[in-house]
Amino acid sequence: MILVIGGYSQGKLDYVKKRFSKDKVAIIDAKSFSADITETENNNEKKIVIDNINELVKNSVIDKKNPEDEIKKLLHKFPDSIIISDEVGNGIVPIDKTERLIRETIGRMQCILAEQAEEVIRVICGIGQKIK
Amino acid sequence: MTILVYGGSGSGKSAFAEKKTTELNKGNKLYYLATMQVYDDEDRERIKRHRKLRYGKGFTTVEQPKNIDKILDSLSNEKCDVLLECMSNLVANEMFDGDSKDKSVFDKIKADITKLDACCDNLVLVSNNIFEDGITYDREAEDYKEILGNVNSFLSSISEEVWEVVAGIPVRLK
Repeated sequence: MILVIGGYSQGKLDYVKKRFSKDKVAIIDAKSFSADITETENNNEKKIVIDNINELVKNSVIDKKNPEDEIKKLLHKFPDSIIISDEVGNGIVPIDKTERLIRETIGRMQCILAEQAEEVIRVICGIGQKIK
Repeated sequence: MTILVYGGSGSGKSAFAEKKTTELNKGNKLYYLATMQVYDDEDRERIKRHRKLRYGKGFTTVEQPKNIDKILDSLSNEKCDVLLECMSNLVANEMFDGDSKDKSVFDKIKADITKLDACCDNLVLVSNNIFEDGITYDREAEDYKEILGNVNSFLSSISEEVWEVVAGIPVRLK
């Protein structure tokens, strides 16, 4: 698994598309699914890119599910995927308790993903820096 | 050795700072200087999590939410090692709950940290990246951002090593 992180609108998905332009890529947007996602077509030959994993974490927190379990399910299904996550922890502490929890949980989940990843890329201004 | 560890919320900076401090510690008295004011259960939970992380690593915890120069006399007579966590709380406490109510907070913190640094063989400072959410807040919060930014720059200038922790991965900046 490869983890690609970076702030909002930093060109993470474009970075991934460019880097894997020779592969067949299937992009799954985590904004619009839970980990129960079914494989829609024959994805076996495709590189699976899961965009906005932070949204999955956010929804898990809101639905009071364990985000770590949700991610485990996803990785079990797509072990060789490329996972993209927005960095959200670099701001003022939110006043709202749930927002605080979401923000911190996304950070912790990124730590867990980064530990498992073979490679971690941080994208800033469209430039990918390999940090692991 | 003076080290600054910088990162966002949930970045894993505490765990890395502890690792750094314990690696540097060669038998000096080892202090954990906690600057967080405890207000509610959420704070207590945070402290519990951090205590668990530190458990069994030989830290003596000193709680000092502001005026950190006041504790220097009570630290070991010989040079010691200190992990200070974290600067964002210290700056907030000095600004909103402290005796000086304006930008001289920066000078006060600068002076206090300089004194603390002089007492230490090894000082590891933890600070937060709060600067990248693109939101303009009210005047107080904007002042806070500015002062913390200046404090961070000062800390990096006195540090031999500066690390940013990203998703648990330490990235060396200096």
